Amino acid sequence: MPPLNYFVVESPDEVGRDAYERIAGDVLQDLDLIKVVDRLHIYVDPKVPIFVAAGVLRHMPRAIRVADFANVNRSENEIVFDIGDETYLAPLLQRLWILYGKENVEQPDRFTVVLPAGTAGEEDLEQMVVADPSETLYKDVIYALQYIAPEGFKIRRQYIRDGKFYYVASEDTLPVDIVETMVVPIFEKMGVTL
Amino acid sequence: MTTLVPVTYKGGVYRHDEIMDLIDDLGGYIVQKHVMAQDVVLQSFVPRDDIDLIRQIAKPLAGEVVEAPLVGTEIAVVSPSLEIHHLPHTSCDTAEYLRRAGAKTNMVGLSRGFGKRIANLNDEERDVINEHDLAVYVLGSFEECIRQKFPVLRRGIHVPIVVTASPDRETLMRIIDPPVEGYVGGVGRIMHRFKRPEELAKLDELVDEVSRTLDARRDELARDPLSVFPPRLMAIVEEQIHEVTMLTHPTPVTAQMEGLRVKLPYDLYADAVRALKVADGVTVGDIADVTPSRMRNYILIRIKPFSETRVLV
Repeated sequence: MPPLNYFVVESPDEVGRDAYERIAGDVLQDLDLIKVVDRLHIYVDPKVPIFVAAGVLRHMPRAIRVADFANVNRSENEIVFDIGDETYLAPLLQRLWILYGKENVEQPDRFTVVLPAGTAGEEDLEQMVVADPSETLYKDVIYALQYIAPEGFKIRRQYIRDGKFYYVASEDTLPVDIVETMVVPIFEKMGVTL
Repeated sequence: MTTLVPVTYKGGVYRHDEIMDLIDDLGGYIVQKHVMAQDVVLQSFVPRDDIDLIRQIAKPLAGEVVEAPLVGTEIAVVSPSLEIHHLPHTSCDTAEYLRRAGAKTNMVGLSRGFGKRIANLNDEERDVINEHDLAVYVLGSFEECIRQKFPVLRRGIHVPIVVTASPDRETLMRIIDPPVEGYVGGVGRIMHRFKRPEELAKLDELVDEVSRTLDARRDELARDPLSVFPPRLMAIVEEQIHEVTMLTHPTPVTAQMEGLRVKLPYDLYADAVRALKVADGVTVGDIADVTPSRMRNYILIRIKPFSETRVLV
């Protein structure tokens, strides 16, 4: 079972409950979200029909800056980026191309990017934001819940903000007050206020 | 009369043609041949008494012969949709496992098979499923949903059905009315590859359930045999219509329990198929219905029983 701090699946159907516990575990594992999700509570009742998943994220990854994965060495006639970790090399190149033009960005080998000294002025290149993993993380969490939810439950309401998220889905139209009646009590069980 | 039994031969490419010739000489039929890199899998029907002979000849070639109960059958694996909820693991693993037992499986992904209130089956899906020997329904986790939507998903289906789902076998038997031919509980939505022993045991149970159902049908057929054994007709089609050999389908002619699916355009080849000579004075048209298939523009041949044609080839 995934090492979440709180993981509960509730359902009036005992067999379905066990199945959804396994499904949720598999999906979180597959999408590599186990380290991201801290608490997760799922309630599913096919008779209503309703599927509610609510939870808390562990921590949002911060924006990745150049200093996180590269050293910037300025010399008289060039600025050399010494890349330590290639993971964010592609977005860095994209960013540099946009800012300084493709013709000015040279990459003599995998771990080196060179700019002519005149192009970059005085700005603080180390602090330049290259990528923001939290952007895709939101999408990943919602995708995971869509994946876990029963397939026929096409009508849905989703929310993800400040480390809290919920996903409500049903086959029928959702009542207007569904968040107050179903989601808030689930957050209370986890000791969180929405 | 010699009894032909369905077997699978697995071996290397090297000298496998000798095995093919041997099966042919013994009066057997090769229904399907798969060449995968250096391996060859032959799905075939061979005389029961000669299995040991084939084993003996295959021994120096490191080939093995195993009984495969589903050879010569075409099975539809029906999934409520082709979404990520059912694929790849549940539906594909089921289809693949049946394939290992010799069946030719086709995946039928319904366009609107999900949701207990909104599920339905359109006429094309119904007809395509009915062209198979058996349909395996791969359903989900909730008893309530299966109870409500299964009657809709089976509407108009007259081939035997085997249902797999999460609730146990007894529950499935209780909620499915009228009963279907086979039940396998404890499967349902599984989001990882079937690899644990208990999951593989369920797939074995499914193969047993499917072969039990098909055996029952075979027994019925034995009482009023078909005018020609489908693999025999398959050999005739392959021999006489040379375009079949130019098709790139894995199985250009698919053997079923009571007929064949020929993957040639109906409009252009139906007459040629009807006119094929099966024996002296007997053509395919005399002993079988040659109809357009709902699957693409293929030809479906349904062999008539002896009682209807008074011909046994």
